[in-house]
Amino acid sequence: MAAAKKYKLSKLERDERRLGFVLLAPAAALLTAVVVYPIAELLANSLYSFRLTRPGYRFIGLENFTFALFEDDRFLQSVLNTAILIGVTVPGALVIGLGLALLANQPFKVKWPVRLGLLLPWALPLVFAGLIFRWFFDYRQGFVNWLIELAGFAPPQWLSDPHLAFVALCIAIVWKSSSFMALILLAGLQTIPKSLYEAAEVDGASRFQQFVEITLPMLKPAIVVALIFRTITAIQTFDIPYAMTNGGPGSATETMAMYIHKTTIDFLDIGYGSALATLMFLISIAATSVYLRHTKRDGGRN
Amino acid sequence: MSKHRALFAAAALAAPLVLAALPACAQQTNLRIFVGGQQRPDVMRKILDLYQSRTPGVQVEVEVGGATSDQQQQYLNTVLTSHDSAIDVMLIDVIRPAQFAAAGWAEPLDSYLGSERDAIMARYLPAYREANIVNGKVIALPYFADAQFLYYRTDLLEKYKLQPPKTWEELSAAAKTILAGEKNPNLRGFSTAGAPIEGTVCTFLVPMWGAGGQFLNAQGKPDVGTAAGKKALQLWTDLKASGVTPANLAEIVTDRIRVDFQSGNLLFAMQWGYAWNRFQNDGDSVVKGKTNVVPLPGFAGNQPATCIGGWQIAVSAYSKHKQAAVNLLKFLSSPEISKMQAILASHLPVFAEVYQDPEVLKVNPWFQFARNVVVTGRSRPVSPDYPEVSEIIRTNINAFLAGTRSAEQAIADMNTRLTRVYR
Repeated sequence: MAAAKKYKLSKLERDERRLGFVLLAPAAALLTAVVVYPIAELLANSLYSFRLTRPGYRFIGLENFTFALFEDDRFLQSVLNTAILIGVTVPGALVIGLGLALLANQPFKVKWPVRLGLLLPWALPLVFAGLIFRWFFDYRQGFVNWLIELAGFAPPQWLSDPHLAFVALCIAIVWKSSSFMALILLAGLQTIPKSLYEAAEVDGASRFQQFVEITLPMLKPAIVVALIFRTITAIQTFDIPYAMTNGGPGSATETMAMYIHKTTIDFLDIGYGSALATLMFLISIAATSVYLRHTKRDGGRN
Repeated sequence: MSKHRALFAAAALAAPLVLAALPACAQQTNLRIFVGGQQRPDVMRKILDLYQSRTPGVQVEVEVGGATSDQQQQYLNTVLTSHDSAIDVMLIDVIRPAQFAAAGWAEPLDSYLGSERDAIMARYLPAYREANIVNGKVIALPYFADAQFLYYRTDLLEKYKLQPPKTWEELSAAAKTILAGEKNPNLRGFSTAGAPIEGTVCTFLVPMWGAGGQFLNAQGKPDVGTAAGKKALQLWTDLKASGVTPANLAEIVTDRIRVDFQSGNLLFAMQWGYAWNRFQNDGDSVVKGKTNVVPLPGFAGNQPATCIGGWQIAVSAYSKHKQAAVNLLKFLSSPEISKMQAILASHLPVFAEVYQDPEVLKVNPWFQFARNVVVTGRSRPVSPDYPEVSEIIRTNINAFLAGTRSAEQAIADMNTRLTRVYR
């Protein structure tokens, strides 16, 4: 009796709680409409055989998923292609981005040319970047082959050789995403106190020692965040390969997102497309959970 | 007092006028038609200006989008799956009516055409009449016909005293002779679509048909692993190995062929009818008056074949002005407009009689035989799942042309995946 009385809310508290719910309602409704509902619809559709080109739809359980994971070579290839792109372009963009950030962090008198150079690739729409690089690597009119021919070598067919197409894609993606990395790392660099370097200078540490012993350890949190952000967006890579190779030759450079787009928008196979999107969603969740665990650990330590 | 009465009287007099004017405002109908960049939106605009001058109260806006058939379709897929009423009328590729019928995107025209239906449909060339009737329903009306032809450089063939080739063997021999004689590093012998796009489907089907092959076997199931299917792939292997086709055939898109031919870098081209007009009229065309068109070659001992193409006009099932849209459709799909398109854009007519029109022949002398090519042309596979059928063929042919997949692998993969679609 006493315990129950202890937890009973006063009128003021009840009013406040009601007000709290009322204030939360719009945000909750918005989230339901734009996040919960589409995801629920996606999950529901993934359990059906549902094509807009055929009348009706029927429940087939997990058949779409078993087909994708055990029979559809093309989906597995698209997962592998995406994994290769992540494996090459995320570390690639980190190395180049770090270089750019260090450059931008130099005490130049005029800072804007470097900062503008940093921002420009980042501000360019992805499809534009894809189109620019497609012409860059064009077999007969491309700048790259022009240089190669000038040097006296036979021009390679960048976009119709599967290996070279990957190389060209990786160069384009690294170029496009390095500036994002650099921006995050630059922010990290500027939080490192100057006094650390002054102390190291007094102790006679070389520039390289300063970089390895001060910059890198102090920059680690920023590096981890940049890597995780970049990996999550790289899972969804679509625009640049779409504009550069359209998945070709054959489907050698098709990413997961491109295959889902093709299945859903071109073939109008909503059921199977939803199942593929669900699988991609699960992969993204897995990557995000790594990020969440990392930030939680950071929070605990502080 | 009298002042008020006068005002009242004026208002009473004016009221019917205002009321009469209201329906006149409401009668102003705005239609929107979706046209691809390749279907000459400029010519469509001229045709629509003519329609507006004859039909007061109707304004038609042209929305242009998509450089290829696939891109146009992607856009329409998004608009139509979301039941958007913004587009009333749209041009669709000849391969699409089955899909539009199955998805319920096109308003069936039978009830609008009424008792005239059969008479109207009887006017069109048979291939186009059939392409637009799906399961007994009229899904769209033909706008213009198209087919793939062999374009060649008359000046170069004359220089080497060669006749236009009738077989693929002759084409290969002629190209080798001329390439060896010209020693022009930019000149290529023959080009066709090879990128993973819709046109590449024909790059496979045309020589397969030309070797006597069929897409469906006697049981109605797809089978491309026939002798003819293998012969078609062998043709491209040979032409590529002997340097007749560009080394980057797997990157070539339809309009790239036109650009290459127009800049004098191609001897033969497998290309659609639209290119004729560009070769004759474009400012940067160096092949003006040096170009002719003949039917595509076949293999010795077989009938040559071509893919028929062309664009149809459909009314969106989600349009809010269906009757006005159907009226526009009837106008656009008439012999008068067919003739206008033939003269302004070298679009092939969908009516037999327009091919014989002297004014049309004056601009397009090659229309004399073009009619026979269009009449004997073959349709690409008809299926509500055509986008998937097309994708299976084009990605395999693209990988094969790029040299990343052998002929056997490409045929095996096409058969496995096509069988699943036709199951």
